[in-house]
Amino acid sequence: MNVASLEWVLGLLVVSAAFFLLKDVRQRQVCFAVLSFLFLVTQALNIPAWTLLVVFLATGFTAGNALARRPSTALLTCYLGALVMTFVIIKKYSFLDGILPPRVLQHQVVLVGLSYMLFRQIHFVVDAQQGQIEKVSLWTYLNYQLNLFGLQAGPIQRYQDFAESWQELTPVLVGREAILRAYLRLFWGVIKVLGLAAACWWGYTKVLSAYLTASEGWQVSAEFLLILYLFPAYLYFNFSGYCDIVIAGASLVGLRMPENFSDPFLSRNIAELWTRWHRTLGLWIRDYLFTPLFKTFAERWPRASKPLSFVAYLVAFTLAGIWHGSTWNFLVFGLLNGLGVVAAKVWEAYLLKKRGRAGLRQYLHSPRIALAARVATIHYFCLTLIFWSNDVAASIGILKRLPDALVH
Amino acid sequence: MTRDEIREQVEQVFQDVFQDDDVRLRDDMTANDVEGWDSLMHVNLIIALEKRLAIKFAAAEISRLTEPGQNVGNLLDLVMRKRSQRA
Repeated sequence: MNVASLEWVLGLLVVSAAFFLLKDVRQRQVCFAVLSFLFLVTQALNIPAWTLLVVFLATGFTAGNALARRPSTALLTCYLGALVMTFVIIKKYSFLDGILPPRVLQHQVVLVGLSYMLFRQIHFVVDAQQGQIEKVSLWTYLNYQLNLFGLQAGPIQRYQDFAESWQELTPVLVGREAILRAYLRLFWGVIKVLGLAAACWWGYTKVLSAYLTASEGWQVSAEFLLILYLFPAYLYFNFSGYCDIVIAGASLVGLRMPENFSDPFLSRNIAELWTRWHRTLGLWIRDYLFTPLFKTFAERWPRASKPLSFVAYLVAFTLAGIWHGSTWNFLVFGLLNGLGVVAAKVWEAYLLKKRGRAGLRQYLHSPRIALAARVATIHYFCLTLIFWSNDVAASIGILKRLPDALVH
Repeated sequence: MTRDEIREQVEQVFQDVFQDDDVRLRDDMTANDVEGWDSLMHVNLIIALEKRLAIKFAAAEISRLTEPGQNVGNLLDLVMRKRSQRA
């Protein structure tokens, strides 16, 4: 079942209206857990997928519980290694071809939302090991991982934040106006997904085939620009619309979910963009990939910490790119975004050296420079997204026609 | 260590990391009040604090300190808590 489908939205409206007739928090939790399970059932999992899910949840909780009681770097490392290895096999990553026997990659396991569950799991066990989860509860953990509002595509919520609203599970929307605003956001989300995103996707697929075959003159430029803008627009409307639906839906039943978008197209560099576009992912990358990596580098080689921070950005963003999909184009997408972040940091360091703190401040406050930076950032990000929607060969094919597009 | 002693130590770390002897810490100060306090410098600051005060921050704590509403006062409270756990 899709969260933008009529049955999901109608079901949500009925359930949320009936939900708070239940007086007791425990009753509401049980009701929520049953709904999450029923939603999972609609995702058409086969027997191997159910088995994987049970093993994934059982090992995650056991590891988190054990690490919270007795922190062990060795156990954490072994568990994370096994977890990531299992994930890449289940997802049949391209780089495994030729490394693993073909029969290993011929499995039929498809588990909806596994990528998001993986990031929640890593956060859960790392925070448990570091003493950041006060009480590890199986009931809370299962509902955290299987929460119907975050199951398909996030947002990537922290266990502690989920546990806080889960323990109360009382209305977070106070007053008629707040409830109406949530309904409005829900329907706006549906319009984004079913209307705007669908229209952008339709336009994108039409233009893409025309662009790659027989177009000439000014048409090449126009079609290139449409390709450049329509796919990011589709992705934005589709994903932010999905987030509007699940965040508003969750608030109707008393759960607070983190925001995932904050005017991303106003970002003035790629580093800022990842705090505005799919921001729960951007923050996860920062907290669980970049920071530990950079900290390790800087502690070991303090004199080279600045250049090593660039290495840490590249590694973190490349891994985040790979997380998005199992084919090589996602690696390129991640790498290009990492390079974008490094470029922003190098540019800032250059300006600081050349102009000093006061000069940098003046530069950052200039409206003209802010506008230019925003335009450049949007276009660079749109270019990187070509590698998201096409394989590497097709992406290069699109970019090869860029000189023609620029000439006209 | 008292809170004032902690503040003094943390202030020295700030001065070293941001290479500015004029940095004076107030509880209500945020990253916006200290020139150059970006995500990279935040990690450098954490590393220097860990070294100077012999404490260890968790990933979630490092992250939480960057959230809106967090300030130097919250950082000092966290350092105090970590020092007392260590004792």
